Amino acid sequence: MTVTQEKTVPEQRRHVMQVRKRNGDLEPVDVNKIVKAVERWVGDLDEVDPLRVATRTITGLYDGATTAELDKLSIQTAAELTGEEPQYSRLAARLLAAYVDKEVRGQGVATFSQSIRYAHQLGLIGDETAAFVARNARKLDDAVDLRNDQKFEYFGLRTVADRYLLKHPETRLVVETPQYWLLRVACGLSTNPGEAIGFYRLMSSLAYLPSSPTLFNSGTRHTQMSSCFLVDSPRDELDSIYERYHQVAKLSKFSGGIGISWSRIRGRGALIRGTNGRSNGIVPFLRTLDAGVAAVNQGGRRKGAACVYLEPWHPDVEEFLELRDNTGEESRRTHNLNLANWIPDEFMRRVEADGDWSLIDPSDAPELPDLHGEAFDEAYRAAEKKAVKTVKARDLYARMMRTLAQTGNGWMTFKDRSNALSNQVGAPGNTIHLSNLCTEILEVNSDDETAVCNLGSVNLAAHVTADGIDWDKLRATVRTAVVFLDRVIDINYYPSAQAAASNPRWRPVGLGLMGLQDVFFARRLAFDSDEARELSTRIQEEILLTALETSAGLAAEFGAHPAFAETRAAGGALHPDLWGATPTQTDRWASLRQRVAEHGLRNSLLVAIAPTATIASIAGCYECIEPQVSNLFKRETMSGEFLQINTYLVRELKVRGLWTAETRERIKRAEGSVQDIASLPAQVREVFRTAWELPQRALIDLAAARAPYVDQSQSLNLFLSAPTIGKLSSMYLYAWKSGLKTTYYLRSRPATRIQQATVAIVAPDAVACSLENPESCEACQ
Amino acid sequence: MTLLDPGMDLTLRPMRYPAFFDRFKDAIKNTWTVEEVDLHSDLADLAKLSPAERHLVSRLVAFFATGDTIVANNLVLNLYQHVNSPEGRLYLSRQLFEEAVHVQFYLNLLDTYVPDERERHDAFAAVENIPSIARKAEFCFKWIDSIFSLRELRTREDRRAFLLNLICFAACIEGLFFYGAFAYVYFLRSRGLLHGLASGTNWVFRDESMHMAFAFDVVETVRREEPDLFDDELTAAVTEMLAEAVECEVGFAEDLLEQGISGLSLSDMRAYLEHVADRRLATLGLPPVYGSRNPFAFMELQDVQELSNFFERRVSAYQVGVTGTVSFDDDF
Repeated sequence: MTVTQEKTVPEQRRHVMQVRKRNGDLEPVDVNKIVKAVERWVGDLDEVDPLRVATRTITGLYDGATTAELDKLSIQTAAELTGEEPQYSRLAARLLAAYVDKEVRGQGVATFSQSIRYAHQLGLIGDETAAFVARNARKLDDAVDLRNDQKFEYFGLRTVADRYLLKHPETRLVVETPQYWLLRVACGLSTNPGEAIGFYRLMSSLAYLPSSPTLFNSGTRHTQMSSCFLVDSPRDELDSIYERYHQVAKLSKFSGGIGISWSRIRGRGALIRGTNGRSNGIVPFLRTLDAGVAAVNQGGRRKGAACVYLEPWHPDVEEFLELRDNTGEESRRTHNLNLANWIPDEFMRRVEADGDWSLIDPSDAPELPDLHGEAFDEAYRAAEKKAVKTVKARDLYARMMRTLAQTGNGWMTFKDRSNALSNQVGAPGNTIHLSNLCTEILEVNSDDETAVCNLGSVNLAAHVTADGIDWDKLRATVRTAVVFLDRVIDINYYPSAQAAASNPRWRPVGLGLMGLQDVFFARRLAFDSDEARELSTRIQEEILLTALETSAGLAAEFGAHPAFAETRAAGGALHPDLWGATPTQTDRWASLRQRVAEHGLRNSLLVAIAPTATIASIAGCYECIEPQVSNLFKRETMSGEFLQINTYLVRELKVRGLWTAETRERIKRAEGSVQDIASLPAQVREVFRTAWELPQRALIDLAAARAPYVDQSQSLNLFLSAPTIGKLSSMYLYAWKSGLKTTYYLRSRPATRIQQATVAIVAPDAVACSLENPESCEACQ
Repeated sequence: MTLLDPGMDLTLRPMRYPAFFDRFKDAIKNTWTVEEVDLHSDLADLAKLSPAERHLVSRLVAFFATGDTIVANNLVLNLYQHVNSPEGRLYLSRQLFEEAVHVQFYLNLLDTYVPDERERHDAFAAVENIPSIARKAEFCFKWIDSIFSLRELRTREDRRAFLLNLICFAACIEGLFFYGAFAYVYFLRSRGLLHGLASGTNWVFRDESMHMAFAFDVVETVRREEPDLFDDELTAAVTEMLAEAVECEVGFAEDLLEQGISGLSLSDMRAYLEHVADRRLATLGLPPVYGSRNPFAFMELQDVQELSNFFERRVSAYQVGVTGTVSFDDDF
């Protein structure tokens, strides 16, 4: 850009504001015309006022703006009223849908099949999908249900429009509408039109959504539809390290998130025999990885992302934990990599016992990464005599906690538990070496097999009615979901040979869920109540059970996955058995066992609870298993900023006549908390606590209770406003003792915040003593 | 001894103004570095901007080029000298560091956004060449100079002059000029543009909020210690000064918005600035002058908790300097 020096002469200000039409003519702005345009989309939204949208739109306009700018501004204006009345979000979504529709039709596209033909000509759609749609054009065109556009909230549809709809390579105009997009995704995974339409209807109702790579790429020329890749540590040699960079770049290019272990690479100061030099350790290599990941742009939709896993006996572990610090030497920092600790139980035991911990160079004990459980314990103890350095286990643990508090990174994931409770670890030599970018995938891999997983999530909010969970609907959703997750494995494009070698053998999938908080709100359950924990566990049992049944059915039809003999299921043990859990649906489990004994399973793993950040936004529900972070917050994404308000709370307040400007201001001032609103009964306030107000013990307890029915793992975030080493070390020890396989981010909050610009000022306070916060006040000491 | 009594007090125990020390400690937890902000992602957006938007951003960059340096200068030349409390000076030292980081951030912004060497020089010359920016700079210089010759605050008049300088930098410069600039950045951000600039600005904004809060703490401390300084004359002077600042900033807005930006009309911008000015008066315990409401919904968004998708952005919500020792029975 350039710095403008010359002063341009302002246009003559006119008394009547004018807009420029698409044909170039100027016409006066007419408030009634805007009102009419908005009114068309009001429909059942009884709380919105089109005149308000119109007048506010005009206030923000400038003289000589184009009609396209006017249209966009009216959408934005409607969206900005969401904080006062959530229905405006729906209104804005409808206005946006109309805008997108106009854009698509403006290119001569009037039907689904035309949009596919057009996008195929533009080189966006794959030949097979184009041919499939051409063959079945009439049926598919008739299946498009435009009414389902009305299910979107504004933020969801904005995300879809900006990032999911295919765009013309030159003009950047979108070439498909939201419904065409979902039907395109369905067609890319279907073998006949009936199947495609069924899957389309499920997604279009927002009851289930596959993960982003599938939503981006299904039906296109590059059908990479998997979310996760788990790459084993490079071997301790230069060629292998550089091969991994190459592999990571390829995997990253097509929207995959990467987990990669680095535990086999020798540490700083270790001897390199070839040159008789000393190694610089892992940090310089991770810097290269960092730069490589940042360089890969996933089709302009998001940056590449990777998480590096390291075992805590590695001699460079302390430097590893500093990689994301924002102070210190830049040449030893990696700002794009995520970090995770892959922790053996022996470490946690020594922390508990306040024992010593030996750091051992992998070149002295190359077997350690491949061992777990007692075999690891023995080998580790034997290798301790070759230790490079000895530290107090608690000092290292405290260092881990500090990294979590300061960066949210350095996730605590537990190696022994992950291996002991995995279906894939049924034969000698099969080891899980790490988890993935979001700590919900646990799959075996090796030097020449990169584990792959494709994901999808059930929207529980769409399965809850006034009477509770609609179990029949949930089962039907899970059955369809598993069939199409399984389908991805065969159609998928594998960016690396190692990925192509692994996935057809193991055929793992990761069916997760989102909207658990919606269920609790709808059922008026406090997140930490016994009822909530019980319900969440029963939902999880239903999901795993139905998924296994479906997979057994697929095995009967297409055969078990090739590595079935190497799994624990082949020996008769299903995931709840590994946990020693007692399921409730005993008859179904019993008949499932028989079918597995007879046909095996089509998929080695079925359930993983992913974070669902983006697809939950599209579906308009709360993320996976998470509690709400606030009753009022904003989302920041590439598309902009969006106010999100708890519509369940608004309903509750409206019923009580409490949804007033004053209440809104109070909630805002309290940063989204309703605990100070005394006119709300205590019981209701309990339900609407935020993640910051819940005991984190409850989050861990819920996760542990559902864990027997999650055969991979869960992306479990934990929340502490003001973390201390004491709180964190207690919390993560509890998580480990609860038997969790993995945890994810530690979320915390800034020490001070931006001064609020729009809530009323409280008059100057003459009291110097801050009694509310005695810890940071020295006046009383 | 009062806060404005001349001298270089060295006594930290007993501590006279522990609230200043708390602010110092809180500020440290918010440490950030320029390297954490990825501005290169903005380059693609810059290419997409309309001429009107490009003009706006270009003017903003020119303002940012010198804005924080001016504030830092006043801090060193005037504030540090007269706030006679070692804990208060600790905070000011920290603030000075933060201003330096901001200067570095905006320099980095300029170097990234403006590849041409000549045009970079022009940006720094804006403080003289571009009338709307020059006018704001003159306003600042006038108030820096107003007490520059004072070595000690002996008289009532000296102290009143000091208070006006302090209030000018807190309420008018950090509290209004910067808040005006932040509004443009957040407007663009709400349209999905210039995320790098916005994420750096979030951090700058967080720091500036603390600077203002500290300055107002000082004002309130002086008010407690020497209430008679706060008479009608001071009120009139503050009100007049703020009115002048609003007019400077509206003039800047006229320049920035001269080509028309949909969603950011001049009348709304004026209302926003007046609203901010009223808030500054309220903080000082003075009645509002304008009675304007905030017209910008995108500024309301700044008042609520952020939740970033970690795939997309760095999360700015973490603290540094976390303390404590390993324990297994803490409540969590």
